[in-house]
Amino acid sequence: MAGLELVSDAGFRADGRRPDELRKVRARLGVLARADGSAYLEQGNTKVLAAVYGPHEVRGSRSKAPPDRALLCCRCSSAPFAGGGERRRRPPQGGGDRRSGERALLLRGVLEGAVLGQLYPRSQIDVHVQVLQADGGELGASVSAAGLALQDAGVALRGPVVAGSAGLAEPPAGPPVALSDLSAAEEAAGGPRLVVATVAGSGQLALCQLSARLHQERLRPVLDAAQAACRGLHAVLDGVVRASDPLGDTRTLPWPQ
Amino acid sequence: MLRTEKVLQLRGQQGRAVRVVREHYLRPDVPCRSALCRSAQCRAACARDGKLLSDDVTHYVVPDCKVVQEYLEILEFPELKGIIFMHTACQAVQHQKGRRQYNKLRNLLKDPRHDCTVFANEFHQHCYLPREKGESMEKWQTRNIYNAAAWYHNHCLGQMPVVMVTEDEDAIRQYGNETEGVFVISFKNYLDNFWPDLKAAHELFDSIVQARRERESESQENHGKEYPEHLPVEILEAGIKSGRYLQGTLNVNKHRAQLEAFVRLQGFGSKNTELQSDILIYGTKARNRAIHGDVVVVELLPVHEWKGRTVALCENETEDKAPADTTGDPMPTGKVVGITQKNWRDYVVTFPSKEEIQSQGRNAQKVLVTPWDYRIPKIRISTQQAEALQEYRVVVRIDSWESTSLYPNGHFVRVLGRIGDLEGEIAAILVENSICAAPFSEIQMSEMPVSSPKNPWKVSPEEAKKRLDLRDSHLIFSIDPKGCEDVDDALSVRTLPNGNLELGVHIADVTHFVAANSYTDVEARARATTYYLADRRYDMLPAVLSADLCSLLSGVDRYAVSVLWELEKESLETLRVQYRRTLIRSAYKLEYETAQALLDGDTSVVGNILELQGLDEGTRQQKVAELVWAISKLTDIARHVRAKRDRCGALELEGIEIRVQLDDKRNIHDLIPKQPLEVHETVAECMILANHWVAKRISEDFPHQALLRQHPPPRQEFFTELRECASAKGFSIDTRSNKALAESLDRANDPLDPIVNKLLRSMATHAMSNALYFSTGSCPEEQFHHYGLALEKYTHFTSPIRRYADIVVHRLLMAATLRGTTGDVKDNITSNKDLEELCRHINNRNRAAQRAQKQSTELFQCMYFRDRSAESDERCVADGVIYSIRTNGVLVFVPRYGIKGAAYMKNKEGLVISCQGAGSCQWKPGSLHRSQHKITSTTATGDSVTLSLFDHITVRILVQSSRCHAERIKLEIIRNAPHHTADTEAAHRSSHGVRSDLVKEVSQSAEEAQRAQERARVEVMDEESQEFCQTKGPSLYQLLEEIRELALLDVTQDIRT
Repeated sequence: MAGLELVSDAGFRADGRRPDELRKVRARLGVLARADGSAYLEQGNTKVLAAVYGPHEVRGSRSKAPPDRALLCCRCSSAPFAGGGERRRRPPQGGGDRRSGERALLLRGVLEGAVLGQLYPRSQIDVHVQVLQADGGELGASVSAAGLALQDAGVALRGPVVAGSAGLAEPPAGPPVALSDLSAAEEAAGGPRLVVATVAGSGQLALCQLSARLHQERLRPVLDAAQAACRGLHAVLDGVVRASDPLGDTRTLPWPQ
Repeated sequence: MLRTEKVLQLRGQQGRAVRVVREHYLRPDVPCRSALCRSAQCRAACARDGKLLSDDVTHYVVPDCKVVQEYLEILEFPELKGIIFMHTACQAVQHQKGRRQYNKLRNLLKDPRHDCTVFANEFHQHCYLPREKGESMEKWQTRNIYNAAAWYHNHCLGQMPVVMVTEDEDAIRQYGNETEGVFVISFKNYLDNFWPDLKAAHELFDSIVQARRERESESQENHGKEYPEHLPVEILEAGIKSGRYLQGTLNVNKHRAQLEAFVRLQGFGSKNTELQSDILIYGTKARNRAIHGDVVVVELLPVHEWKGRTVALCENETEDKAPADTTGDPMPTGKVVGITQKNWRDYVVTFPSKEEIQSQGRNAQKVLVTPWDYRIPKIRISTQQAEALQEYRVVVRIDSWESTSLYPNGHFVRVLGRIGDLEGEIAAILVENSICAAPFSEIQMSEMPVSSPKNPWKVSPEEAKKRLDLRDSHLIFSIDPKGCEDVDDALSVRTLPNGNLELGVHIADVTHFVAANSYTDVEARARATTYYLADRRYDMLPAVLSADLCSLLSGVDRYAVSVLWELEKESLETLRVQYRRTLIRSAYKLEYETAQALLDGDTSVVGNILELQGLDEGTRQQKVAELVWAISKLTDIARHVRAKRDRCGALELEGIEIRVQLDDKRNIHDLIPKQPLEVHETVAECMILANHWVAKRISEDFPHQALLRQHPPPRQEFFTELRECASAKGFSIDTRSNKALAESLDRANDPLDPIVNKLLRSMATHAMSNALYFSTGSCPEEQFHHYGLALEKYTHFTSPIRRYADIVVHRLLMAATLRGTTGDVKDNITSNKDLEELCRHINNRNRAAQRAQKQSTELFQCMYFRDRSAESDERCVADGVIYSIRTNGVLVFVPRYGIKGAAYMKNKEGLVISCQGAGSCQWKPGSLHRSQHKITSTTATGDSVTLSLFDHITVRILVQSSRCHAERIKLEIIRNAPHHTADTEAAHRSSHGVRSDLVKEVSQSAEEAQRAQERARVEVMDEESQEFCQTKGPSLYQLLEEIRELALLDVTQDIRT
């Protein structure tokens, strides 16, 4: 299977998409009643659930709390039945596997940039993200779902946070092609993978993570593809947010474009 | 853009059933790429790449998966137009046929001259049909393709008939009439109907079908396996009993490891008497995963499939060429049907070089490594370190060899050292011979008695009471080569009060210090012998025993086991013999030269005897007189014993060889004795006598569990080559009995060329089988005979310090003599079964020791010549003698260095050698003609060179380097005339010096230059003294055996005598 080509000569990827096409996205807000905000996001077969608690008082030792802004607590985990690469070497207790921990760190970095934390001094915002099913792009889906959940919770943001991924296919003949929104099979092929998170769909990058080596000249098309994926995803998610908002557009300021 | 989603469920990945869920997107905008298509959506999609299916063909053809896989070559014909390859079919090719086939298909699709296209039917929302539950893959693919074909027909608005070709009869029946305008027919039918004139396609079709059928029938036979399965054990046993199968040990031909292997049948009592020779196993298929040394069960092939063995010289690199014209007479040929015992051991291997790794493919984790031993197949191992270990010799172990695998699987064990490095190569030799010579462990050393200069070991009074004290009554002395440390034998002779003589042979009592089954004993048993390599030695016993407490040094009390004979004073007939544990004090530790001088009446050497220094003149005179009397008496007795043995038909051979070897030793000592010494013979004869009598005694007392040594008579057919060679010089060799052989060998002496006789003797040696230890319980008494020595019974008793067999014999002898007096002796006696096992082990170890010694010598030779440039250095040019003729070259013996090697007269390009006068030889086109005693090379220009047996030629010595194996000496014929140099004579005289130089020089290049050099000097002396002085075998058999062991040494001296 190692020799599977990412893009066929006819221009299709293994799952029938064209290089620039995203997987099917579905999202719902407010799926968990007890949380202050929650969101469920599907990107193809990758399914993620995010919940936001807060802002609330800092729990535990108060000395941890920064005086001027909110404390962001991010936790990521994978469901035992999530499958994919997460399955391997799972510690007995849920949560806390290495990839999830790494994801939590990255997610916190992204949200620090997106949440207007100075509005909530000495308070804490908890963000919990769980991957229910893994099929590639878990980090991107986690960030997007967390962004949705924060919106659902009404936390002040600089803009909606979405993340997309892109890779590069280098067919033996012909020029390399950037692929948007990699699936698990495509990630497993071992090529470069770039995950980009943007704030406000404006092209401002909150996260840019590249795994595997990539030639400098090839970075631009891949980055473009990832940003295009973000824009595409934002378009869909924005629709979802607007549709789910019971008060319609009236209470929401238009996002700066 | 419309997106639909389907979930495709796959199962099965890496053997286990894994449920894999993949997304599958279906879309409406899949381009059909037909010029006929009028749909705007399609047009837009098609515009991306230019190639369109033309609209001027009579039909479109849609091949099924099977058709694409099997008949792609036919579809490549440019005459076939309008082919639509469905995506489903392409995927099937990629998955089932592999990358090469898929690339072919891709190139075909891209080729603009070829009118074909691919339709991504699986992504089209109207063409894709999900696989139904329980539907086979093939059925689903066919259904999908048919569906797509039908859609295509409709998509083109029915303007173009579509023909789907499939090999599936059901599909033809089911879909044949389902849609108008879509025809489903078989490929053959399609070719017949649509392309009746395309002859080439029809022929190709037939040949493909034919090939496929053959493959199918073959895979039905062995189910896709590389080798047939081995038969179950019960069937093998039954087959062996009924005589249908034969059992034996597999021996792979070193020079043709890929093709030839021989099975030597087990047991002499084989009922199948018509099978005298070995069974040839030709090719790796017939060898069926057996590895050199395995005990295998073979089935004979019918006579018309028998093959002959190859007689041409062959280099191992050219292993794939199979010259059919050079085979000899057909011999019994068989195939392996089962392996009863796998004798896998550790193997030294070399990783392939970088280039080779790359050529082995991308999957670099599995590496095929090449064993050092040519006879072992390549081994596949999994490692990440292949690149890092390229320059090293590495040990691997074989784990398994499945019938589906071309090569055995193994794993990496440890690194030995760099390739070409002395220590690394020596370690490789040790591993290859399964020699484990780690230093003695602490627990073993703790069993050793303490003896230090401050606190010397002393005889214990209790022990002294039990022993016969010979300290004062006997004049005991030892005769050894100079510098000998481990003296394990001493002699005595005296006149008894009744006038008779008493001869005594005193052997170090090793068993007193090495209790049975103690740690030291177990270790010694495992080692079985002391190993001598060219520059070092691995002792069987710790040095405190071998060089001190067991060594019968002069002036100190030592325990011994003595054999004392009472001889009649005139006739010297044996009257009485007793075997006793004794306490002795050797009076003199003599050297051979000194002893000989005394024997000859030369008293000037008395000053050399340490023990006599510091005495006053009178005492000294008296002592010298005593000693001289003893030595001369001993010599008389030895002559007598020997004559008696000769009359019995012993293979009598004047001890030229051994004496010459001794000359060699002397040369190391810078002593140049011209004559072989009689003292050697005397000592040796005494030892043979002791061994013989001990053998008699223990076999009487333990008729079923005594350890003896037999030397079976050689098979007559092995003498064929010897007889033929001798007839080239006009000699006839009578090989019917040992006596006749010895006599005819004596006669076969060419006065002009002494080497002829030496070579003939060396051939005779080769023809003989090895002497072996055995347990008396395991074979009938008539087989106890020792061919070489012409003794009814023989064993090894006299060197317990360096041979484990002697230790066993000591224990047996003690048990025999003490029988009845104490009850516990039985403990020391092993049962016949265990003894048999032990003998096998010792025999194996002895062979390993000989091989290791030979290989280390070759290693030093190669290292010596490697550092010289063959072109300029005159040491690389030497005189050689032809001793065997092959179809494409000759075997040459170089006396100067004692090297035997092959010299080719026809090189790989098929050119033959041509020598013009004094000039050097050149390669020219021509032919070779071989007759019995000569070989003639005739060039196209009419020049011819004839080489006959025993011709002297000039050869150049080259080292043939090889990464994976030991380096080898290669000979190149330079001139068709003897080699004469100014220093030839000198070289002959000091040829010994050359050798020790050789050892030294190579050692120098090693890391510890200085130390190694000194050690080499010392060890060489030791080794040789061990080998030649202590064994004391002047009889033909022992001589020849030692020559064989030290093939390098023997002939060097031969020339000079």
